[in-house]
Amino acid sequence: MNRKAVLAIAKKDITSITSSVQLFLPIIVVPLIILILVPGGLLIAARYVDVTETTNMGPILKLLDNLPAGNLKTALDSFTDINQKMLFLFLNYFFAPLFLLIPLMAASIVSANSFAGEKERRTLESLLFAPVDIFSLFLGKVLAAFALSMVMAVVGFILYGLVVNGLGYAIFHRLIFPEPNWWVLIFFVAPSFSFLAILFNVIVSAKVKGFQEANQMSVFVILPVLALVISQITGALLISSKVLWVIGIVTLLLSVFVLRQIVKHFDRNKLFESQIF
Amino acid sequence: MRKVIAASSVYKSYRKDPVIKDLSFTVSEGEIVGLLGPNGCGKTTTVRLLNGVISSDQGSIEVFGLKPEESGEDIRRLSGVLTESAGLYPHMSGRANLEFFADLYGVEDKGRVDQLLKDFGLFEHKDKKVGSYSTGMKKRLGIAKALLHNPKLLFLDEPTNGLDPEGARDLLVYIKKLNEEKGVTIFLCTHILNHAENLCDRFLFMADGTIIEEGTLAEVEARYLKEFLVEVETDIAEEKLPEELKASFSSRDGNKLVFKVASKEHIPQLLAKLLEVGPVYTSRILGRDLETMYFKIREAKR
Repeated sequence: MNRKAVLAIAKKDITSITSSVQLFLPIIVVPLIILILVPGGLLIAARYVDVTETTNMGPILKLLDNLPAGNLKTALDSFTDINQKMLFLFLNYFFAPLFLLIPLMAASIVSANSFAGEKERRTLESLLFAPVDIFSLFLGKVLAAFALSMVMAVVGFILYGLVVNGLGYAIFHRLIFPEPNWWVLIFFVAPSFSFLAILFNVIVSAKVKGFQEANQMSVFVILPVLALVISQITGALLISSKVLWVIGIVTLLLSVFVLRQIVKHFDRNKLFESQIF
Repeated sequence: MRKVIAASSVYKSYRKDPVIKDLSFTVSEGEIVGLLGPNGCGKTTTVRLLNGVISSDQGSIEVFGLKPEESGEDIRRLSGVLTESAGLYPHMSGRANLEFFADLYGVEDKGRVDQLLKDFGLFEHKDKKVGSYSTGMKKRLGIAKALLHNPKLLFLDEPTNGLDPEGARDLLVYIKKLNEEKGVTIFLCTHILNHAENLCDRFLFMADGTIIEEGTLAEVEARYLKEFLVEVETDIAEEKLPEELKASFSSRDGNKLVFKVASKEHIPQLLAKLLEVGPVYTSRILGRDLETMYFKIREAKR
């Protein structure tokens, strides 16, 4: 592995993304909506609206009644007000899979652009003519996407914490965020999910001709997260720390498998030919 | 002299479409060799094969005694390549581009980037984005990029494409100097024949993925020039020509007479006979330039 080249490629790719409004804007705007506007709006609205009076809360109220013993039940039992319970559940649990979208989206955009962007700019050949092994080239691309997605995860986590605790203090009279599941989410699940998404997207990006094509394919990596969101809301799966550990481990194992396939099957010749055919 | 490149019976296809067929040639250390041929004949593919960017289907290639499939990285460390599109990042400045490639090529000399920017007249524009550079500036930056790691072998793919005459001349002078002063072997792919003629020691003529002829201009001339047209500037009137020269007289344009002779050895005789009847101011052989040879070879090998 060529460490200097890996870092140079990663740095160059991050600069490419941050200097392109078209690419960088969605990475910034979506977190602003999911992590600031929606929870902020919810907390402000909760001061004036009684959630039990809204018509579509039935399944969630049922879920609250049937919760098994554990951290969540203990935490919820500490609140007497149903509004507090609902908000606590929303902000600490239902938002968790949605939060995963933030690093995942950053990872997808950067990694979809990785090789496809080089092909569009006609710079891939310059990289292939350099004395850098293909694995280092891949690693540089992966590192750029991973670093940016982790920065988004951590910054998003802090901002979300400030919004939830800041605006929620008037309702809860104490800090309610983060629950233990968030630490697993931020420091284990988000990195594993992002890593797998990046590997998948980098392979796609290396095989297709342009960014649009790669970006369309990258939508597939969002699907498991949407499944998690739906399962949360319907009560099919409550994302406790234990569940998160399982999800993270499975994702990590899958990543290792994909990485081994990359090392085994990808070479300079194939990468070059992908820009022709 | 040591062989820097040796290719023997190389074949390459893209999805069963053959692009290189039975390609064989050698390049010696310190030479400037021109690979000449029309667009799409396989020049760029040859450069890619030699650098191990793509792999051949058959045949053997050695660059500095190394096989591209096994030691591609070592070959690429010893060689520099200017691709036709220059391969630069438009959103980055000229300096940032060179710094990035310096990292890829493991260049330790911190002053190398600025030195090359100065050598190619780009230092004043170092902080401008490459997207705002003119074609000539991009080409110059592309060559600076290829020279970052002081390569021993330089591949130049259509280096003068898009350059104005002044830019092209400066570049050719620089390449010649690089070859003479540092002994860098130059492999030049081009279809601009007058540029190649002024620069190269030897030529490889390529068509349909294979080498159809090779040699120095004199060697090729000896093989393909079957008769010589000699243009003589003189005041001698056509009717005053000696009888034995009348058969070889071909045409007249003002005070320039053109004679056809079978070989170069006949030229002194021709001039001596003309001098007997009048003054001769200048004389030159017509149709011996690279372009004429190129078309004669292509016609002969068709």
